[in-house]
Amino acid sequence: MGWLGSSLLVTYMSLVILIPVIALVGHAFTGGLPAFWDAITQTEALDAIRLTVLVAFATAFINAIAGTAIAWVLVHDRFIGKSLLNSIIDLPFALPTVVAGITLVTLYGPYSPVHINVANSWVGIMVALLFVTLPFNVRAVQPVLESMDFSAEEAASTLGSRPLRTFIYVTLPTLVPSILSGMGLAFARAIGEFGSVVFISGNEPFHTEVASSYIFALSQDGELNSAAAVSVFLLVFALVVLGVFGFLSRRISQRIQ
Amino acid sequence: MKRRSLALRFVALFYVAVLVGAPLVLVFQRAFSPGLDSVWHSLTASDTASAIRLTLVVAAITLPLNVIFGVGASLLIVRHPSKFSRLLDTLIDVPLAISPIIIGLALELAYASNGVFGRALAHLGWQIIFSWPGIVLASAAVSLPLVSREMVPLLREIGDSQEQTAATLGAKPARIFFTITLRSVAWAAAYGATLTLARIIGEYGAVLIVSGNITNKTQTLTLDIASNFENFATQQGFAGAALLAMISIGVLIVLSLAKQRERKNYEYHD
Amino acid sequence: MSITIEKVSKSFGRDEVLRSLSLEIPTGSFTALLGPSGSGKSTLLRLIAGLTKVDSGRIWLNGVDVTDVPVRERQIGFCFQNYAPFRHLTVEKNIAYGLKVQRRGRREIASKVEELLSLVQLSDFATRYPHQLSGGQAQRMALARALAIEPRVLLLDEPFAALDAQVRGEVRTWVRKLQHDLGITTILVTHDQQEAMEVADKLVLLNKGTIEQVGPPSQMYDEPATDFVRSFLGPLTTFDGVSIRPHELELVPESASSGQVVTITDVVRLGFEVRVVVDDGADGFTWVQLTHDEALLGNYAPGQRVRLRIRRESHA
Ligand SMILES: Nc1ncnc2c1ncn2[C@@H]1O[C@H](COP(=O)(O)OP(=O)(O)OP(=O)(O)O)[C@@H](O)[C@H]1O
Ligand SMILES: [Mg+2]
Repeated sequence: MGWLGSSLLVTYMSLVILIPVIALVGHAFTGGLPAFWDAITQTEALDAIRLTVLVAFATAFINAIAGTAIAWVLVHDRFIGKSLLNSIIDLPFALPTVVAGITLVTLYGPYSPVHINVANSWVGIMVALLFVTLPFNVRAVQPVLESMDFSAEEAASTLGSRPLRTFIYVTLPTLVPSILSGMGLAFARAIGEFGSVVFISGNEPFHTEVASSYIFALSQDGELNSAAAVSVFLLVFALVVLGVFGFLSRRISQRIQ
Repeated sequence: MKRRSLALRFVALFYVAVLVGAPLVLVFQRAFSPGLDSVWHSLTASDTASAIRLTLVVAAITLPLNVIFGVGASLLIVRHPSKFSRLLDTLIDVPLAISPIIIGLALELAYASNGVFGRALAHLGWQIIFSWPGIVLASAAVSLPLVSREMVPLLREIGDSQEQTAATLGAKPARIFFTITLRSVAWAAAYGATLTLARIIGEYGAVLIVSGNITNKTQTLTLDIASNFENFATQQGFAGAALLAMISIGVLIVLSLAKQRERKNYEYHD
Repeated sequence: MSITIEKVSKSFGRDEVLRSLSLEIPTGSFTALLGPSGSGKSTLLRLIAGLTKVDSGRIWLNGVDVTDVPVRERQIGFCFQNYAPFRHLTVEKNIAYGLKVQRRGRREIASKVEELLSLVQLSDFATRYPHQLSGGQAQRMALARALAIEPRVLLLDEPFAALDAQVRGEVRTWVRKLQHDLGITTILVTHDQQEAMEVADKLVLLNKGTIEQVGPPSQMYDEPATDFVRSFLGPLTTFDGVSIRPHELELVPESASSGQVVTITDVVRLGFEVRVVVDDGADGFTWVQLTHDEALLGNYAPGQRVRLRIRRESHA
């Protein structure tokens, strides 16, 4: 590939992502470190970040369990409609977040046809996050379960272990790395999620406002530097969490082998 | 054992039904319960029609750009290692780790007419932010890695011996590219392109910031759906949402077909 | 088509893979390039094909300097170890690829492909895809594809490595015959010395990027230039502190007049050959290769004491 081709590619990527990120970091620190610190320690900012992180953690945790169970069912169980279940798992990947957002608030909000109202609360936020991150958890575990060597598991069950014990002591340890990497992806996605959350969360400052809504609100109020500061913090946080989960997952899989 | 796994099956089904199945059913139920006429009216109302048009235009510009970029970047990363390609390799996945809101904000900061880069462009009479070029940039940014993520592992796995064999058979680089390289990764590229298209059409957060959200002007379909929903034109909002949901289902079908084809072509005998 | 390699060097980073290597390959010969893993065999082959550029030195094909000629113009048939089938094309389209590049007419391509298919015995598999072929069939397809452009030279990089022993032997004999019939200059890379001696009329033994010895197989086996060549081309054992081929030793009864008294520790039957391991009490273990008949005659068993000496015939 010629020099021209490579420079076109790098130019395109610079225009689309590199220059904007540099501008973002530049704006975050235009007032120096004190201004940056000020921006991310505003009570509203801290509340939004705390809420986002806690709910994202809870989400990743719940979906790690649910996703593993679903993956297990998809791999081991047989029933009519399994392939439908398998394809519907990917829907949150393909469905625009705004569609998820208005649908979830209609279904589980004040006018719920099933009389469940979790709107304007952290539970509502979590429902939206559970929806958008489910495929990460299922798809991280499923291929590992599929390719797993079942002789160990079978040996354990012929030795008289109960199925549940077999799962906990034999199957689960080998799944931990993939469960962790699924959690990492889900967590990173949940931290930045916007479209599916804003409708059901109610966006009430200090209470149900997630970090991305807070950044959006700041940007609408023209507080671009503060918005940039919180963004940079959130971005670094997401990268660190991804790194930590990736590291843990690699370490554990090394120890298993 | 039997009873327990049956219980697990129902828990899994229930979870997916409540979380994913019910919303999907609800979208169509809300959209179609007042009848097809009403759906048609909603979709052809001036704001929605113009939003659909803008979405199509943005997709028509962004999709080819990102597919060409993705194919080129994958080849550069896998086949021509250099300083350039390492830079690409590290930066290309960044958008996946960033909130779309932050991507939108970053684009606004760079390209707004009072921004670092935008000022120069504004002097040339180019408005990026609050206009369609900004929407194209936002769509391009959020979907940037989707093609290369599919292609890079496949290119690595295939290796370059087919390309080198073609060269010994007398083929020139362009011919090798079109008859060997592109053909052997075609389904992966198609898969990535489909993901890219879905992402472009469905993007909300990033576009919300850069577009200015002006009805009949800079609203894409997702923005139009949101503003209809917020302005109590629920019916119209759900009509658009159902259209997008149908596109998503179509996307999923295309993806599973592409996966199947890819597997079929690349199954090795051993 | 003769190949002349003149003082060719190649490094990857600080790793000097070929060191000022010169080699002459006569027209129509079948040369085996032999050497341990990492000795630079594949690199040399790739340099001849033009898939990798030389750092210094020249390469000549039939007296024409091709050092700076790109791969596609060298007209060299090349087969990779993994056969590199074009996975999205059928067998016949794989074979036709080079002909299409040459813009031959459709009729000509069709008849040429048919001819090649029958040459490599794949006529019944023309419309299959590579993943529907066995290893041996894929190998033959790759050969036919390389032969289609009527190459001046055929370069085969460990072409039989992925085949099981049985098929390997068959394909090997077949390639040997094909080469003989077509008279095309061929270089085959292998690290199997037996395979090299079986098919080639000339051996080139590489070690750490330089040539240890070149010559006909029998000559190199009998008159190895260095210890490395000797040990690489056949089994060795030590007797009286010198290395020697195990078939050059023999066992005689303890009552015989000459030879060193040793104790048999193991008797291993390997088809027609029998390997007897003996302990001389001082130097350690030595092994002797006997024919089946010799072993039967001696009725050797572990624990037995015998005399070990150098075979008379090999002295004569
Ligand atoms: N593209 C490359 N980049 C860096 N080093 C290389 C490259 N190709 C080969 N080498 C190095 O050159 C040396 C010789 O490699 P080569 O493939 O020629 O060995 P070989 O004799 O074919 O070995 P084998 O029998 O294992 O195939 C090795 O040390 C290898 O690591
Ligand atoms: Mg090699």
